[in-house]
Amino acid sequence: MIRFVDTTKIYSNGVVGVKNVTLNIEKGEFVFVIGPSGSGKSTFLKLIMHEEAPTEGEVYVNGYSIHNMPRSEVPYLRRSLGVVFQDFRLLPNKTAYENVAFAMQIVEALPREIRRQVPLALGLVGLSKKARAYPGQLSGGEQQRVVLARALVNNPAVLIADEPTGNLDPKTSMEIMELLDEINQRGTTVIVATHEKNIVDSMKKRVITLDKGELVSDVKKGLYTDED
Amino acid sequence: MKIRTLRLLAKEGAANVYKNKLMSAASMVTITTTLFILGLVLLIIVNVITKLEAQKRNLQVRFYLRVEATRLEQEEVAIFIENCRATGVVTAYEYESREQAYENAKKDLKHESLMEGLTPENFAEGYFVTLANPNDSDQFIAKLKLLSGVDTQWITYPKQELERISAIVGVFNYVAVFVLAVLMIISVLLISNTIRLTVFARRKEIEIMKYVGANDWFIRFPFIIEGMIIGLLGALLSFLLTSQAYVWIKNGLTALFSSIKITDLQLMEFDQFAIRILVVNIIFGMTIGVIGSFMSVKKHLDV
Repeated sequence: MIRFVDTTKIYSNGVVGVKNVTLNIEKGEFVFVIGPSGSGKSTFLKLIMHEEAPTEGEVYVNGYSIHNMPRSEVPYLRRSLGVVFQDFRLLPNKTAYENVAFAMQIVEALPREIRRQVPLALGLVGLSKKARAYPGQLSGGEQQRVVLARALVNNPAVLIADEPTGNLDPKTSMEIMELLDEINQRGTTVIVATHEKNIVDSMKKRVITLDKGELVSDVKKGLYTDED
Repeated sequence: MKIRTLRLLAKEGAANVYKNKLMSAASMVTITTTLFILGLVLLIIVNVITKLEAQKRNLQVRFYLRVEATRLEQEEVAIFIENCRATGVVTAYEYESREQAYENAKKDLKHESLMEGLTPENFAEGYFVTLANPNDSDQFIAKLKLLSGVDTQWITYPKQELERISAIVGVFNYVAVFVLAVLMIISVLLISNTIRLTVFARRKEIEIMKYVGANDWFIRFPFIIEGMIIGLLGALLSFLLTSQAYVWIKNGLTALFSSIKITDLQLMEFDQFAIRILVVNIIFGMTIGVIGSFMSVKKHLDV
């Protein structure tokens, strides 16, 4: 599903993103990527969604190879992924419903299908009643639920979340995590970058630890051992 | 891309014009201003060129019959000229009989003594012909020379003047194209600058669209529709402004000229080229809007 083969990313200013990372993530897995700030978590996710291209090595995602990927293919790669950001990234002048529908319009889904799928996705994240609200009228947790609904609505094979709970209080964070777990139960591969110990420890999933760009541990049913 | 998607995106672009009122207004004012200047410059040039073309048409081919021409030869020439008018080669002509020529000469010379011994019989009949197309003059003159009644030594046509006027018209045409090109470039720069601000304000949006997997055209299309609508609105507004300003200038000039007793320096009526100006405005406005949008969005698409 996702395969890193001796992947290195060094930014143009010399900063090391990830260094010689090799690993495999199988279909249906739930993976935490942890590590202190600057450890390369974000770079790891950015490589998967081709926000950055690897300097060396190769990354395979859903059958796409990221290195030297033609520009015109990037949208198709991204459509096979659902992405959740720490800062939500919702279109501010669209309602919750429109934001979710937007992801379907991009793939040129039939209007009939959009009308069916969007309420389902909003229902799944528990936001049916806020469909007409604009992002500015929603709380952080609610906005992140909209983002989740948007990420899910096209039934992506992989869902990537970069610090999805970074801007949320502990209780809301837990709720979002439970949602992610639920999504994973339905067969979607979920990859979450985080540095929240409580969450990682309580979920008992595979944990990949990065430090200074290097893969330092990869444990099934792991805990957040880094006390940094 | 499917028609359904295009329609959706077009609607989106149209809605954005309204949602981003302030930026839309700023872009529109830019387009209106440049098109307004463009319009006035064009109107001046059209006026000058029209005047010159009219001047060109006023140039006459003048020729005289031989003094000893027979009645038959005279009639042959008369029929020839009439035919030319019937077929449209000649727009108008004046005929000067021997008597008129005699009288005119008397008037011009002033001193009776110089006319002594001369009778109308000593004068030749003359034709002053206005051609529909001044460029046909050579051909026309060649035909004249075939008529035995025509005195071939006395065919005159102000060819030099024609060439001079043609040259001036040519220069003005170049100037028009040059001004057009320069203003076009300036407007694209101005408008793309304004749209760049709009796009910059919305670069986050573009970024998000890219992350969700939108391809370039999906993002670009609404912006282009937006540019097109703003361009169209700017064009219409500038058309209104141009027509008002032109009428105002025209009336002002007429008043000024008549106060100093010049009556033949009228500007043309605006109605005569209203449609042309409108079309030019719309084409320019929309093109500028589209190019501006295209250029400004381009930069932000590389995410």
